[in-house]
Amino acid sequence: MRPSLSLSLSLSLSLRPRLSLRPRLSLRPSLSLRERVRAMFYHAYEHYLESAFPYDELRPLTCDGQDTWGSFSLTLIDALDTLLILGNVSEFQRVVSVLQEGVDFDIDVNASVFETNIRVVGGLLSAHLLSKKAGVEVEVGWPCSGPLLRMAEEAARKLLPAFQTPTGMPYGTVNLLHGVNPGETPVTCTAGIGTFIVEFATLSHLTGDPVFEDVARKALKALWKNRSDIGLVGNHIDVITAKWVAQDAGIGAGVDSYFEYLVKGAILLQDKELMSMFLEYNKAIKNYTKFDDWYLWVQMYKGTVSMPVFQSLEAYWPGLQSLIGDVDNAMRTFLNYYTVWKQFGGLPEFYNIPQGYTVDKREGYPLRPELIESAMYLYRATRDPTLLELGRDAVESIEKISKVDCGFATIKDLRDHRLDNRMESFFLAETVKYLYLLFDPDNFIHNDGSVFDVVITPYGECVLNAGGYVFNTEAHPIDPAALHCCRKRKEEQWEVEDLMREFYSLKKNKKFTLQRAADHGEGERAKDPEDAPSEKGGEKRNFKKSSHSLLSCPSQSFNSKLAVLGQVFLDNT
Amino acid sequence: MTSVSSLIRVLLPKVQVLKEDEAREEIQRNHSSCRAKDVTMPAKLPVNFFSTRSPVIDLFRGQLDYADHLRQDSEIVLYFFYAPWCGQSIAAREEIERVASRLSDQVLFVAVNCWWNQGKCRKQKHFFYFPVIHLYHRSFGPIEYKGPMSAVYIEKFVRRVMTPLLYISSRSKLLDFLSNYEPGVLGYFEFNASPQPPGYLTFFTSALHSLKKDYLGTIRFGVITDKHVAEEISLVRSGSVYLHRHVNTSLIYPNDIMNYTAENICKWALENREMLIRWLRPHGGKSLLLNNELKKGPALLIFIPYNPLAEIHPLLDEITKVALEYHNCNKSQAAEPDLQHLGDTDSPAFDSSVPDAHMKLSETFSITKYPCCNTVVLPQWHSISRTHNVCELCINQTLGVKPNKVHVPHCNFLEIEAALDSFYLQEHTFFQVISNTIECSNFLSFYSPFSYYTACCRTVNRHFLSFISSEKTIFQTPKVAFSSHGKKGNTQHSIPHIEDRNCFIPDLHITGTNITGLSCRTNKTLNLYLLDSNLFWIYAERLGASRSTHLKEFAAIVDLKEEVHYVLDQNRSLVGSTLENFIKNFSILYSPLKRHLVDDPSVHFHEQRVITEVTTNTFHDTVFLSEKNVLLLYYAQWCGFCASLNHIFIQLARLLPPDNFTVARIDTTRNDLPWEFMTDRLPTILFFPHQRKEQSVKFPEDFSVNLPNLLKFILHHSSLSSSEPCTKECLHKETVLQQGHISHLEREIQKLRSEISALHQAHDQLEAQLSEARREEHRLQQQKHALEKQHKTLQLHSEQLQATYDQKNQELLEMAEKLQELADASENLLKENTLLRILVASREGRLQSKDEIKESLQSEQTLSEDNDVSVSTATATLEVKRIDNIDTIETEHSSGNRTE
Repeated sequence: MRPSLSLSLSLSLSLRPRLSLRPRLSLRPSLSLRERVRAMFYHAYEHYLESAFPYDELRPLTCDGQDTWGSFSLTLIDALDTLLILGNVSEFQRVVSVLQEGVDFDIDVNASVFETNIRVVGGLLSAHLLSKKAGVEVEVGWPCSGPLLRMAEEAARKLLPAFQTPTGMPYGTVNLLHGVNPGETPVTCTAGIGTFIVEFATLSHLTGDPVFEDVARKALKALWKNRSDIGLVGNHIDVITAKWVAQDAGIGAGVDSYFEYLVKGAILLQDKELMSMFLEYNKAIKNYTKFDDWYLWVQMYKGTVSMPVFQSLEAYWPGLQSLIGDVDNAMRTFLNYYTVWKQFGGLPEFYNIPQGYTVDKREGYPLRPELIESAMYLYRATRDPTLLELGRDAVESIEKISKVDCGFATIKDLRDHRLDNRMESFFLAETVKYLYLLFDPDNFIHNDGSVFDVVITPYGECVLNAGGYVFNTEAHPIDPAALHCCRKRKEEQWEVEDLMREFYSLKKNKKFTLQRAADHGEGERAKDPEDAPSEKGGEKRNFKKSSHSLLSCPSQSFNSKLAVLGQVFLDNT
Repeated sequence: MTSVSSLIRVLLPKVQVLKEDEAREEIQRNHSSCRAKDVTMPAKLPVNFFSTRSPVIDLFRGQLDYADHLRQDSEIVLYFFYAPWCGQSIAAREEIERVASRLSDQVLFVAVNCWWNQGKCRKQKHFFYFPVIHLYHRSFGPIEYKGPMSAVYIEKFVRRVMTPLLYISSRSKLLDFLSNYEPGVLGYFEFNASPQPPGYLTFFTSALHSLKKDYLGTIRFGVITDKHVAEEISLVRSGSVYLHRHVNTSLIYPNDIMNYTAENICKWALENREMLIRWLRPHGGKSLLLNNELKKGPALLIFIPYNPLAEIHPLLDEITKVALEYHNCNKSQAAEPDLQHLGDTDSPAFDSSVPDAHMKLSETFSITKYPCCNTVVLPQWHSISRTHNVCELCINQTLGVKPNKVHVPHCNFLEIEAALDSFYLQEHTFFQVISNTIECSNFLSFYSPFSYYTACCRTVNRHFLSFISSEKTIFQTPKVAFSSHGKKGNTQHSIPHIEDRNCFIPDLHITGTNITGLSCRTNKTLNLYLLDSNLFWIYAERLGASRSTHLKEFAAIVDLKEEVHYVLDQNRSLVGSTLENFIKNFSILYSPLKRHLVDDPSVHFHEQRVITEVTTNTFHDTVFLSEKNVLLLYYAQWCGFCASLNHIFIQLARLLPPDNFTVARIDTTRNDLPWEFMTDRLPTILFFPHQRKEQSVKFPEDFSVNLPNLLKFILHHSSLSSSEPCTKECLHKETVLQQGHISHLEREIQKLRSEISALHQAHDQLEAQLSEARREEHRLQQQKHALEKQHKTLQLHSEQLQATYDQKNQELLEMAEKLQELADASENLLKENTLLRILVASREGRLQSKDEIKESLQSEQTLSEDNDVSVSTATATLEVKRIDNIDTIETEHSSGNRTE
């Protein structure tokens, strides 16, 4: 069976028109690549529905399904918003109704708190927020109520027992029916503690129940408090005793989305505190782990290099940097990572930098999205054709190496391109989505605010879908405007109304004093953390020194005009 | 960032790892115990990468040994090492095929799959990227090709490898060779003496060797075989090697100092070559090329479409000439002696520049009489520009009281600015329709009675007028210019005689300097670079080249240190003279060049747009000329903090009265602005109040950006004149305001109405849900009742069952008792049996004795027979009874089992 398959593949390849490099990737090839990505999606998606649904994942080599992270038809939930991004409204609607009927969280399953949050809660939230755009008939209270939101809330509530620890840092695993199992290990990875704020804050803002945001913040604060003297966090921590179990500090596996959510939380909530935390970490990361635009692993207390490796999961970092305006550094690091892709046709889980080769037992590439994700963000910032080239390489590699009759298989070993019988749900949720968005600059996700929707809710008028979507770490987009829709306090509305009256009167009798950022919306927050006074003080001082808002990006420098096609510029300092 | 489990296994202590693995396996077992575990699939077998009809030999199984074997057959071999999954290899495949189809008769093209792990190639070579192209010239090699993956460039390189040496057989060929802009190395070898003159092979190898080092092939190698030709460049001895240089003196390879080896010759040529003008060819990977080159100082980047295979490059020749002139510092020394005595025909372009120079010289003379002069390029919208567009403005202090005769060495910038001010006031003096003549006028200084200004204006280039911007700006802008003349506020910078980008850079012939040797005379020396616009047009676009032009020619001066760049007007054809003027204008003091501001041409105005999108071009109009208060947001699409504010600004724009307020924004990544309007952080919010546009205020950064804060900020800074006593006008204003307010309130009411309807709907929905819930409750109640009933019946049933159970149990007990009785009975019987046996035995004994008695008492025989029969029947019955007994015991046993 296999030889005949490869034969048919080669035939189809030779028939397909090739892109030439001259002129370099311009608009037209990117359109044809976009369509190839679309075809990739449907190849995998249809086989999942056919052979694997309602299991969590498709097993592409044996053409069947298996449950992996629970039993929630995970791939379907994860791929839902990708359907809309590809423009398939009817299938989106169908899946929404299927999920409403079919998914049950009252099951006796031990589920990862982290994975359930990012894939299930995140997927349902974004589907909920996009459902109106997809033509689903929504309730009157939308976006503050709706069946998908209720499902997301239900799923999130199942995770809450994990947060009941002395430190507020959650357990890694929870039983959806019985809560935390007795004898559950208290060791959780850093990312498993700090990757909740985006979903949980959104949930709190939409439902009005602050418990989600509160536990997420408490966990973030606990991590912040336990950072080392040199400002780094380790890899795994005991959530009961707050002792670091694995003391390797880096930006990749085990830590990655913690940093990501500090930034994205700051953006989503306009929260200076989260951003100041990230900037402190960023400083330490640059000081101790960055070498020649690579980021290594160091001992969290001493700062000595413990592993000179690059991990596939670290490739999200350039994208994150571009969100806060550090585009030059982002591009330099990205180009390093791209060389690894060119060497293997994928990113090995671990890549030993000095040796220039994979690390034993870590040669796999489960079709991860991180490098493509960074390419998408960077392409927004630079429009550099190199980024489209990475996209092209990714499409070619994935099609040539991992495409099988039933879908796309994880690459078990990048050295010989052996395949494994697995297709992770993030392939459809993230990899395909980011690839498609890279080649589709006019997608609604890239909306720069020039179009928007106005929704009348029982809470008042609401501007939605004005762009600026914040992707959670499983690539589920959250509309930041939606957070201001539901909990919109009446005082603010009255205040606005009063102010508007001033615009129409001739006499100005009031002095207008602006609200400090710290006073706004963070009142309840500022009280709870034990170390708040000192932190706040420190923050204020920094503030004065840097004299610019933490919630801003630097403008791009002059030489960024020429920093394309691999050209990088050194700082003038 | 997603997989926690993988990282757990990586970084946790061993124990933990094991635990996790076990847990995972357990899960696997739970969910897929019956399915196959650990199914993997080897990679697909390699297949043809090139089509079988291709002139390229495709060794898709990586047969490197065979590839080496093939090399023996051909003088020139090109190896294309690829990986079948690699996008770059796939893209380059077509280019290689194109080259192969043109050169297949002379060059052997071999493609090797260097990825397949069973193949020899993969086992022996270790590449970090694909494709890799290696060339062999007989045994010499590999020479790696690192240039652009484009057919023409590859073909050029292959041809270079085929013939690394050019044969210079005549004077004219020598001239051709020497006049090229790229450095050339010549060797003179006397072939008359021997077919292989000493040193020739080394020289040949050095030519090949240079291709290894310098893959762009910028150093050309030539060989002279004719004695007379060699004499032209004063080479006498066979075996001497000569490096030609245009500006500096040419060199002869120092045999006595350096060993005569291929490497050394190559190194020597690379070190000593002249780089008057350099090709920049970024390879696409991470590189500091531009960083290193541009940090050397201001650079002139010239973009031209370049075909490496073309025989002649007229444009390139012209540019070369400019570059030569520019670098030719020792005119007296005759930098090109050999060229001059050889060179009979210089290009006409060179000739034409000579009269120009004369003209310039005379002008310089007239200008230098004034102590301080500046050239002013008039913005098109000035009325004067209809006749003139360039003026020489000089400050002349000698007319007045002559306070002292101190010679001012150079102009004071403030003076020039003051002069400009006065000049704009006086410009009506030129309001005559005269062109092509120089017209001068004197006028008194605005600030000092002791000095006066002279302005001489003329039209430099009439076709400029065709680029005057739209009618609207012509009429609007002067008004602003005059309205602000009285103040010395900083807004004057914005009066765009310096920064106005509508005004194209003219080629001014006023400097009086010739370009010859300019590089040594100016302190703003330019480095000259060429870029192939077929490959690197994106850099031109980044610098502001228009995307619509068909002709991809462009020139820009980039000054990285000053963070400015200037561009040559794209509407002018890129020829030597325009380029010369461009360079000159850059070099002179008070350069007329204006910092080029790149703007975004792709802004599409959406109908729904409530926020005005500002670009470089519309900035001035929208912000300064509009009669409204303007709130301007500086943003960038990639900046997360900007994008998440979109909805707030949309709300604000919908809220503010549109007659008085504009909410605008500018994407600073794609739109340059004059320095004074640049910001270093994004987002930045500026407010330009109506009537005081120059007093813009910035939204304080440490306040959160939300609707109430923005409204307060605007209210605070937009003074809608309040303190004045109320006049009719004021009343009118008030009514207008009130009307605005009314309409605002009406909108508000509309909103509230829709809110009410939404609430009603929500209410209805809730009602429906409630009633449904009630129905549900009712249903449940009913169900509960039914269930209770069922429960009762079930209970009854169970009671009955219990009763029957008890009964049965009783019966069973009885049975057991009976059985027990039976067992006892059988035991008794057994006992009886044994008793009987004993009895029988005793009876037998007695019988025997009786027999004996019988024998003795023969006579009594008949009587004893009766007795015998009765005894035998008795034993038989006893036997039967015993068997019965065993049976019953057995049945008892089995029934006992059952009851257990």
